[in-house]
Amino acid sequence: MQKTKAAAVGIGEVPSGRFPERSELEAAILACRDAILDAGLSPRDIDVVMPVGALASRHFNVDLVFSRLCEELGMLRSAKMNVQVMSGGATSSSMLAVAEGLVAGGLARNVLCVHSDAVGSLPKQAGIDLFSTTGVSEEWEAPYGHNMNAVGALASNRYMHETETTEEELAAVCVSLRKWAELNPHAMFRTPLTIEEVLASRMIATPLRAKHCNMLADGAAAFIVARAEDAPHITSTPVYVRGHGSLVTHYTVSQDTDLARLGFEQAAAEAYAKSGIGPESIQLAQIYDAYPVWPLITLDGLKLCRGERAGAFVAAGETAPGGSLPMTTNGGMLSQGHTAVGGGIAVLVEGFRQLMGKAGPRQVANLVNAVETASGGTWMDSHVTVLSREH
Amino acid sequence: MTATARPLPVPSAWSAGYWQAAAERRFVVQECKSCDKAIMYPKRVCPHCLGENLGWRVSAGRGEIYAVTAQLAGPPTGFADHLPYVIAVIRLDEGVQLMSNIVGDGALGARIGDRVVVDFEEVEGTVLPVFRLDAGAETRDA
Repeated sequence: MQKTKAAAVGIGEVPSGRFPERSELEAAILACRDAILDAGLSPRDIDVVMPVGALASRHFNVDLVFSRLCEELGMLRSAKMNVQVMSGGATSSSMLAVAEGLVAGGLARNVLCVHSDAVGSLPKQAGIDLFSTTGVSEEWEAPYGHNMNAVGALASNRYMHETETTEEELAAVCVSLRKWAELNPHAMFRTPLTIEEVLASRMIATPLRAKHCNMLADGAAAFIVARAEDAPHITSTPVYVRGHGSLVTHYTVSQDTDLARLGFEQAAAEAYAKSGIGPESIQLAQIYDAYPVWPLITLDGLKLCRGERAGAFVAAGETAPGGSLPMTTNGGMLSQGHTAVGGGIAVLVEGFRQLMGKAGPRQVANLVNAVETASGGTWMDSHVTVLSREH
Repeated sequence: MTATARPLPVPSAWSAGYWQAAAERRFVVQECKSCDKAIMYPKRVCPHCLGENLGWRVSAGRGEIYAVTAQLAGPPTGFADHLPYVIAVIRLDEGVQLMSNIVGDGALGARIGDRVVVDFEEVEGTVLPVFRLDAGAETRDA
């Protein structure tokens, strides 16, 4: 078990969806402002700003790289470093690990981590094409019509083959996430969803139907990481980073040799060992989704289903409101919306929100320990982070 | 290339041999002459020993489907006229994997474990290795 070195002390977020009148810059500024105020800090207490890579606009991303947020938020001549961290959808976990390392090594005191993007406002075909180049090889895969929905479909096909998971069980993941999203004013989709509706929607890439697939959204979220010893002096609700584990399994999905498992078993074993907290003590699973198969693979790898098959566990309602293992209580990318890299940031921020006791009508009662997971590109890597209210 | 054109491979210095072979309707797999390992996709250095003594191994282009999907809607630019089409991850008998399309008889019903064999499809002057269900293998299995 490792010494706890870092904690989240503040969070901010703007609603996800289509907001053509709200620029990425505006969304980033508001999310950062809210995180700084939530922590009770001043902008001049932030010494490192860590913006995530944005995909929809190169111009905006260049602004992020070149310290625009430091200028917009009153950090000039106080911030020491502005540095982009980017590993696609895995950035929630990897950025938290980088921030943890900076504060643990004495290189930073308060790190402001922020994501903003506007992929939801892209024309539909531009969105499809953008995500047909993220982890999809231009030379080896794009010529065959590969795309992100096909990535989810190939993994679903392999996972269903190995585990006998059904289409209804995939749909049950979408329904569980939607039930949480109904309680989340920041979610893009809040109307009730049924398994029948998912299975009646148009087939996109077998076995995935339209409502098995995420929808691109605009959004922004931010959080602040401080040294563990400083955290209780900053806020009354610090969330401690207890342990992280990860494994890179591929770049292109065609090179993964265990697509039904990825690297989650190894990542979870590392995170549980470092944190001293095992699956039996996890009360909330904030799991990166994007397609329903990934939460199932992740639940299996993290051993969170009490020996049951993940598909049966979710279909029995165990991950929905009132279930024994609340999962991705913001609604995930399938219901809060896929804000590009930020879909994972929103899942992580919801984990902090829950552990801070700030989740309102969807607050999980008596919560102490949670786990957050993420993966980037075509699920190139498997990240697991154990978070706790306890030091 | 127009905005609606299907994307085609742009070979690198170290992958040109693969595409040249395909243009001649031969299927090859890169090999490391130092450690004798098969390599897919072609690499600049061997990912096993980091050596540079790389060449090409003629392959029968046979293997089995590891994962498969039929794309029915929402394709990337350049593929709207090709729907439905089948994308598969194929595990070659050489032990390496690649992505391709399954074409020909029964392609839409292709399943994990089905034996496949390479074929070639010309797209706007570029020859792409694609795969067909290997009817001979099915007969042998039965």
